[in-house]
Amino acid sequence: MQDAKFLKIGLGTYTALFIAFLYAPFVVMGILSFQQGPEGGPQFPIIEWSTYWYQHVLGFAPPSRVAPLPIGEALARSITLAVATMIVSTVLGTLTAQAFRRHFKGSGFVFYLVVLGMMVPGVLLGLGMALVADQFGIPRTWWGTAFVLHVVYTYPFAFLVMLAIFNRFDGSVEEAAWALGVPPGRTFRKITFPIIFPGVLSAMLFAFTLSYDEFPRTLFTGGSEVTMPIAIYGTFAVEIHPNLFAFGVLTTVFSFALLTVYGLLMMASVRRAKVRISGLQEEIE
Amino acid sequence: MMEVQGLSKAFSGATAVDNFSLTIGQDEYLTLLGPSGSGKSTLLRLLAGLEAPDSGVIRLNGEDITSLPAHMRHLGFVQQKYALFPHLSVSDNVAFGLRFRAVDPVTDEAVVARRVKESLDLVGLTDLGARMVGQLSGGQKQRVSLARTLVTEPKVCLLDEPLGALDANLRERMTVELQKIRRALGVTFMHVTGNEAEAIAMGDRMIVLDHGKLLQVAHPDVVFLTPANVSVARYINAYNILEGRSEDGRFVCGDAAFPLPAPAQDLRHYAIRFDSARILAEDETASEDSACMTARFIASEFLGSQVTYILRRSDGRTFEVVRHLSREDPVVYDRDQQCTICWNASDGLLFDASGNLVSAAPVRGAA
Repeated sequence: MQDAKFLKIGLGTYTALFIAFLYAPFVVMGILSFQQGPEGGPQFPIIEWSTYWYQHVLGFAPPSRVAPLPIGEALARSITLAVATMIVSTVLGTLTAQAFRRHFKGSGFVFYLVVLGMMVPGVLLGLGMALVADQFGIPRTWWGTAFVLHVVYTYPFAFLVMLAIFNRFDGSVEEAAWALGVPPGRTFRKITFPIIFPGVLSAMLFAFTLSYDEFPRTLFTGGSEVTMPIAIYGTFAVEIHPNLFAFGVLTTVFSFALLTVYGLLMMASVRRAKVRISGLQEEIE
Repeated sequence: MMEVQGLSKAFSGATAVDNFSLTIGQDEYLTLLGPSGSGKSTLLRLLAGLEAPDSGVIRLNGEDITSLPAHMRHLGFVQQKYALFPHLSVSDNVAFGLRFRAVDPVTDEAVVARRVKESLDLVGLTDLGARMVGQLSGGQKQRVSLARTLVTEPKVCLLDEPLGALDANLRERMTVELQKIRRALGVTFMHVTGNEAEAIAMGDRMIVLDHGKLLQVAHPDVVFLTPANVSVARYINAYNILEGRSEDGRFVCGDAAFPLPAPAQDLRHYAIRFDSARILAEDETASEDSACMTARFIASEFLGSQVTYILRRSDGRTFEVVRHLSREDPVVYDRDQQCTICWNASDGLLFDASGNLVSAAPVRGAA
């Protein structure tokens, strides 16, 4: 009994410390984002609580000596790039995983070829891509060279997620559909895809978040029109103001919103099933 | 209606189906019996178009369908584990083939609804259409799977161990049910099973398969009474099979020898049905025309209508004697008691060195 109690306290303390380390940076950032402005800097104590830096980020604050964050366009670029990367990587990853359900000749080699995209250090890949692009006279842009590297990087993640999903997938339902006279393409849309959909959502989430805050590959291949992570990095070089923290809080809230949508979509199918059976329970034999 | 010629399939060198030929008629119930690994599931998958054969031809009403993909064959396939679509309701499962098939899909939802209802009525699940498949019992899933296939009106319906996952009570009910449904629709069923009782009870014709080869195809009566091959006799699970040789008009097996029902040479196996043999009472002597051997009693199994006595022969093999209790009372023996087993010599079946049946005994009742 005594041992169990100590173990409980020990594990509780450990968990508390773990959570503190995990969230402390964010909490500090959150608190500092409410610093008084424009004189207050990114340090304690808080001179006066205010939402000045939020207004500053959103462009409502009166002009002052602190330049507005150059992130408006960068954010739009980052989101566009992440969405495009998410779509392409998820489609490619799903199709590749589908191909791997049959052990084709050279499948082992192809597997390592695909996974290489996430194993090779990003700096090397970015630098290599930049050199190749220069060699062939291809301009370096966020929607061109950087986009290709984002796909190369996130596609293996989407592929591995889908591979795990297909591993647990029972192919006999597809065979049942074929035997009913339904062609393979329609079977995939009507049977396979709805069943693997939770996996596809996970793959999309992976691809989006990885692309959204990707740094080293974009740094070398993104050209002069920068994405959000690079724009933020650029502001460090000058001087750090709490407007950066306000922006950090906003993007984090945005990420949580995205996760919430993901969670809701995941639960939707379960809930739909539950609604259909409620009220029918009493007639089960 | 459906002809199969010389169908063969091997998986990385291991033969699964070996030169299989069969003609399947209209409106018949075929059962296919084979031990696990006999290639019976592979055969069904070849017919359904889910595997491609290495050689051979499959014809349906004269048309070569060997290389046709599964969705163009118009054959039904009911899987062992039902394979229902987990994200759809029972009605949508049944309607799936009608709505989405490549050939002649039904676009009128009223027609779909009517046919789904008819199909669910047929399998006795009238009120369960709105339920999700996760909410069904094993027997209900089995029926949905059947309804889903039958609603598309296949020419031949292939069933892969359809009763294998059901408990004994339900299995018996579904046996009757399946035959009733089949007769109502007049569709040909090809029912694969590893259970000899199922194969014998349900089939109009019965196929016995082993190592991918067709051993016998005939009415279950014929298969049961005159198995064409010693392997068939073994799978039917109703025969004691003795190994030995023929010598001077007798079959010699260990220290016992029996008169042959008909003159034959080069014999290898002798089979006697469980219920053809009986254990002699202590004061009884065998009649002239009977075959006898001694064995030690091990155990008996009381099965309500019959008793199975299990004995051990001098060579260590077991010998089973089944006595129906409508004809005689059960007898109690001591363990290791020496008994004499006797049967009418003309009841024995003889098999030659290659395993084929040599003489067919005239059909006689038990006792």
